[in-house]
Amino acid sequence: MISPLDITLGLAVLAVTGLSLIPRSRLVISMGFLVLGVLAALVWLRLDALDVALAEAAIGTGLLSGLIVWLAVRSPVPPGAGAMETSPRLPWLRPAIGVLAGASMTVVVASVWLRAEHHLPQWREAAESQLPDTGVEHPITGVLLAFRAYDTLLESGILMLTAAAVLALSRNGGLSAEGAHRLGVHQTYVPMPPVPSALSWAARLLAPPLVLLGLWLLFAGSTDSGGAFQSGAVLAAALILLRSAQVDISSLTAHWLRPLLVGGVVVFISAGLVGPLLGLPWLSWEPEWAFAAVLSVEILLTAGITAGLYALFLTLENPEGVR
Amino acid sequence: MTWTQFSLGALVLLPMLGAAVAMLLPHRGRRVLGVGTAVVIAALTVPVLVTVTAGELTELVLGGFDAPLGIHLRGDGLAAVFLGATSLVGLILTSYAAVLPKSTGTYLSSTAWVPGHPGFWPLWLGCWSGLNAVYLSGDLFNLYVALELVGLTAVALVALGGRSSWEPALRYLFIAVLGSLMFLAGVGLLASVTGTLDLQQTRQALEELDDPTLSLLALTLMTMGLGMKIALLPMHRWLVPAHSSAPGVVSPILSGLVIKAALVVLLRCWLWAVPVLPGAEWLTWLLGGLGAAAVVIGSVLALRQDRLKPLVAYSTVAQIGYWFLAFPLLLPGENDDAALASGAYSAVIALALGHALAKAGLFTAAGFLKDRCGTDEIEALRGAGAHHPTLILAMGLCAVGLLGLPISLGFTGKWQLATAAVAAEHWWLILVLGAGTLLSAAYLLRGIAPLLMQAEVDDDAPAANPVTIRERVGEFAVLALGVATLATGLLGVWLSDLLEVGSWW
Repeated sequence: MISPLDITLGLAVLAVTGLSLIPRSRLVISMGFLVLGVLAALVWLRLDALDVALAEAAIGTGLLSGLIVWLAVRSPVPPGAGAMETSPRLPWLRPAIGVLAGASMTVVVASVWLRAEHHLPQWREAAESQLPDTGVEHPITGVLLAFRAYDTLLESGILMLTAAAVLALSRNGGLSAEGAHRLGVHQTYVPMPPVPSALSWAARLLAPPLVLLGLWLLFAGSTDSGGAFQSGAVLAAALILLRSAQVDISSLTAHWLRPLLVGGVVVFISAGLVGPLLGLPWLSWEPEWAFAAVLSVEILLTAGITAGLYALFLTLENPEGVR
Repeated sequence: MTWTQFSLGALVLLPMLGAAVAMLLPHRGRRVLGVGTAVVIAALTVPVLVTVTAGELTELVLGGFDAPLGIHLRGDGLAAVFLGATSLVGLILTSYAAVLPKSTGTYLSSTAWVPGHPGFWPLWLGCWSGLNAVYLSGDLFNLYVALELVGLTAVALVALGGRSSWEPALRYLFIAVLGSLMFLAGVGLLASVTGTLDLQQTRQALEELDDPTLSLLALTLMTMGLGMKIALLPMHRWLVPAHSSAPGVVSPILSGLVIKAALVVLLRCWLWAVPVLPGAEWLTWLLGGLGAAAVVIGSVLALRQDRLKPLVAYSTVAQIGYWFLAFPLLLPGENDDAALASGAYSAVIALALGHALAKAGLFTAAGFLKDRCGTDEIEALRGAGAHHPTLILAMGLCAVGLLGLPISLGFTGKWQLATAAVAAEHWWLILVLGAGTLLSAAYLLRGIAPLLMQAEVDDDAPAANPVTIRERVGEFAVLALGVATLATGLLGVWLSDLLEVGSWW
């Protein structure tokens, strides 16, 4: 039986999605997106997926909204507003085709989905029986860092390379300037626009609890919900807040951003290499040192994810724009 | 744990490690590390090729967790041939980029745009890691992750070309993400009825399923998503601006290697993950029809270009069509025998591999001329061949491969495709093959012939500058690709033997 709460939640998601797509003003769109993130986290909670809800709240709502709000404040009118030309004779044609295609696809997928006979994942039993050997107690952390560690490794590589991409598109190609050891991210040295002092105080007050929450999420991950991705997102949010409050953390970013960024991936691959050196397959953890390996990988991954997400925020400014 | 098993993991993880370390180094160190990593990858490919040649399929169970819990890497025939081709092309292009840093894009210093982009190295090594991950993966979700890795780094590599390449890169990003999401939706649908993500187990579970509708829907979604990433004809509009505005050494990576990754995933889905479905015929015919349209329309559009790089990019659109032409023959129907399908399959692989080598060479040559002369307008490049005989020779060899003349792999592929078409009495396929070959002769002539014309080159024109030693070495890298285009044509039989290992039939 579907509860009225679920129906309301579903309708609200639809309404807010419309709100974050249709308006022209970037501020309205970003507010819509923020609310959408909160609703999506609630939906995941209703589905009993606490880990997904946490990730959605931290990355989807917290960080992504932060980036989008920043963009909306900096340039409220999208440069491409109205650039998507509607054909002069049949202005309704493109939306009509879109709606028609979307509706028919939804109907087809839904009817096939409802008719099919679904199976529970076959890996459930195997996961439970092999979990004790992995050094962690929470099954999701077990999947992320032991059973499917390879996927997690490639994903952290993707995040690292995303940061590499945005650094490459900033000044000096993300390299240190000639003769200097500091990172060539010019945005680090461009002061942030002034903010009201109340906001600045609030940010300073909020940062320590956020750091604490981030660390708790990290260490709770081995026994409870939470883990590197959620923790990294919260820590990056703390850094963004500090920077917005004009706390000078540029020495941290100048020297430590790149080493932190790659540290997680380097240690993950090195830990994976221990297996082949002992004659085991890649990415094998022996039960004796599995916990140590998983914990050190997770700590450095968190640092890498924090650095990567913070780098995304740092390089939002167009390198040509600031001279 | 054998050497081959070690190589399977190392082929993915070592380039990723190289990418991570490269981010900490200055520009010169990145170049050295890049070439070193490329040599190591090429060396790691050897044990895989040797094992597969001996007829063995190597499997690596990562972390010791068996499927469906863990992920398997499989070094089968398909993986081995694409690993081999990627290592060859990758090694040559890496050396080219190290010798001619100008070809890796331009970055903004505090005062001006400077040629030679240090960001190329981590991104390219990451891309290579993703390519190898795609070839080796035996798991549907892992294929998605690997495909994302390739797509993201490819987009970033396009954006290294400077201001004018940002818009094509953004467009490419949207398409790549949309394509990935459709693929992921298909994977989710399959997993919901099979309860596993492993390719072989998915097939077994689907074979026991009574109702093929959901598998068909999943296959359609995955095919659409991958078709976007491969740039099959109606979904090809992103390819031309992205591939032609990318830096000199990035275009051959994109055209030669990156779209092949999506092709490999498509073949894994159609031939490995999903059994032959009743009702999938219309989809194969649709793909075949789109392929035929791509061959003809892509070639005609290539013929109409005035600049060299867009011409080569449109030629990619046309060549992509050939791989899809074979789809109606690929699935053994009720009357056709399995030999037909295997012939069509090795035709697709031979065409794709031949294209990887030849197009990488041709695009590198086009990028070389653009970097040197500052433009790639065919009219402005008139007579440029007089200063670059080696380059013109290399372009000619690559053109032979793209045309499908003997003894290139392109010829092997077209011959096998034609044989299969005759056996299945699909005469229209012969027509398309013939028309495509004639049209490609026309556009290649239009691209290359003006370079050979006698023309007055002004003394102050960039083309008249003395050719440096570095540029000479770069020309020889292109020549190596041209020679490889022809030389691999002799390996047709070996290729068919390799493909038998771990094949789906």
